[in-house]
Amino acid sequence: MAITSYEILDTTSDVTTTRTLLHESIPLTGTIISGTYGVFPSEENIKNYTHGQFQSVYDYPYLSSSANHIFDLAVGFDESSNMSKSAGAGPTGSGQQAKKINMYNQFSQVLLGYTGSNNTVRMFELDLSLDESGSIAKEAVFVNLSRLISKDQIKKGSFSITVGYGTWSAPFGAKRVLTDASASDNGGTTNTFGGDYGVLFDTSSNPRGLVFYEAGIVMLSTNSFANDSGLTPQFYAHPTYGNLNIIGTFLTSSISGACDAVRHRIENIAFNNTTEINSTIYFCRVPHNKYNHSANPTYLSASTIRVKNVNTDSPIAYITTIGLYSASNDLLAVAKVSEPLRKDPTNEMTLRVRLDY
Amino acid sequence: MAFLDNSGDIILDAVLTETGRRKMANGNFSITKFALGDDEIDYSLYNKNHPSGSAYYDLQILQTPIFEAFTQVNAGINYGLLSTTATDLLYLPIMKTNELTGLDVGNIASFNGMFYVVDTAGNTGTSATTAIGQGLSAQATPIKSMAGTTSTTNFVLMETGLDTGFGNIPVGTSANRSSYLVANNLVDSTFYVFYDSRFISGIVGLSDTSTFNNSETDNQFGGSVSLTEGTSTSLSLGLDNYSSYRVKGIADEIIWDSSSNTEATYSVIGGPRGSVCGVAPIVKTGLDAEYTLYGTVNSGIMSTGGPALVDYIDTTIYVQGTLSSAQIQIPVRIIRISTS
Repeated sequence: MAITSYEILDTTSDVTTTRTLLHESIPLTGTIISGTYGVFPSEENIKNYTHGQFQSVYDYPYLSSSANHIFDLAVGFDESSNMSKSAGAGPTGSGQQAKKINMYNQFSQVLLGYTGSNNTVRMFELDLSLDESGSIAKEAVFVNLSRLISKDQIKKGSFSITVGYGTWSAPFGAKRVLTDASASDNGGTTNTFGGDYGVLFDTSSNPRGLVFYEAGIVMLSTNSFANDSGLTPQFYAHPTYGNLNIIGTFLTSSISGACDAVRHRIENIAFNNTTEINSTIYFCRVPHNKYNHSANPTYLSASTIRVKNVNTDSPIAYITTIGLYSASNDLLAVAKVSEPLRKDPTNEMTLRVRLDY
Repeated sequence: MAFLDNSGDIILDAVLTETGRRKMANGNFSITKFALGDDEIDYSLYNKNHPSGSAYYDLQILQTPIFEAFTQVNAGINYGLLSTTATDLLYLPIMKTNELTGLDVGNIASFNGMFYVVDTAGNTGTSATTAIGQGLSAQATPIKSMAGTTSTTNFVLMETGLDTGFGNIPVGTSANRSSYLVANNLVDSTFYVFYDSRFISGIVGLSDTSTFNNSETDNQFGGSVSLTEGTSTSLSLGLDNYSSYRVKGIADEIIWDSSSNTEATYSVIGGPRGSVCGVAPIVKTGLDAEYTLYGTVNSGIMSTGGPALVDYIDTTIYVQGTLSSAQIQIPVRIIRISTS
């Protein structure tokens, strides 16, 4: 039946808007990334594509409808990298050198943009300045976190990734934790085309990578996987060429092959995501002298109000639902309380209905 | 929909309805008012005689589990709490159909729970076998029907009032009508009628000049009824395909009189009476495929006489008093001679 009893909302005093940042803790363990759903490198939760430009990691065998996309992995290098000067030592085409350059350029142009009169793409620098000096990561691993888990952005100062740089057979025999602990909402970041980014430092404050918070992309330089004396010689046990360091891996392996090697060395990723919730709060003020009667058919027995014995008894009604209406009586939103609220002339209540967008 | 967890703090579960989402997409989402509902509550569970005292009267009601919020508009609030500010009301009006034959004003009775309205589109003559209205009248128990047009003289008659029972307090005197209903603004001068616009194109109701009383000699019925088409409104019931009309309500002046009490002869309300209204649907022109899609075709429900086979669509008309919020559902059967 049509509702005929409405209470007008005063837009100045009964309606307000708020913005809330909701954070969730996201732990990604390395066992899901490598080894849980099959034998490395052919796990069922790892999806490779015929184009070979990146690799997708799921939290469950990806052919299942229950699988959720967690992140993508890609590798690339700048065309000024020494690697690009090599034709690749592997079988013809397996090096995918051009594609690796394309991948680096794509990340760079989206996250950093172009520079100079020639509009060349910037290179990733392991600091907060974009002056093309200092430590430049010409070769990089990219971890693209799915929107499903990164939501609106990664919370600044919450990101950490543990990578191993031990031998291939014992990758976590030597490992380091990279964090963006110096970043916060108040500083420690730089804003670029791709949004804010912070630097990933190891525990000795050596810069090893970048994290782009809004984009949900992590860039790891090859030195993330280097040991104290240089590149880890057994970064990847290539099925054809044997043990390779990370440069050799990048040179001789396809992108997906290099991604396999990287997956093998990610022990843990953890961060807090951020969801920005914009809310409108409607304060539904129920006055003491109204809404004490009901049109519910059970409210009457032989036209007599059931909750009364005599007319001087207080009327009682029970609220279970709040309907929010437009000026033309369209029901736009419905709110339910978890248990009936007793309403009688002795009480007045404000029901706070929040709609999130 | 699941129930809400009611084991801890009171929580509020809010969702946009499908209409709300559509309006948001269209950029005209604006909430300006609210209403309150209690659809889950069964007030018969209120136990005024609970041996443990008044604190326990509404124990069962307060334990009622509440559904999660629905996104369907019609599942939002179907009845609602009333904003009436009076606190000394003991009675509230209800609405009932008056199917009494003694009135002879054109009010029809239901047959097996359905009020019949004819679709004359399939009539090929004027006999019981060629005209659906004649066929209904020719049944072993003649079925009174409405004509389904603006010129109908038959209608469903409804009364509102305090149905406390004939002879019970408050009795249906004029004074009680004034004090219990008029004084509390519970007499409806108009009624909203909601109908399925796929089958019905409008509603005929009572005219302003109609009267309804038992003021003739020996308190015999002295009313007169004429019909006129109501007014289309934009009020929404929340049901898909439902449209609304507003029809007039006239004063129900059937009263109790100790000298010659005829109230039960003319009224179904046993107590002070508020208003009467009439409703007769106008069948939508060109109904044909709808009988197959939404109704029954080639039915042999006519027991004796009449056409061998008929088609019919069953639908429901909702009537609601604009002031009292008293309401009733009228099951209607639109019937025609089968065309095949």
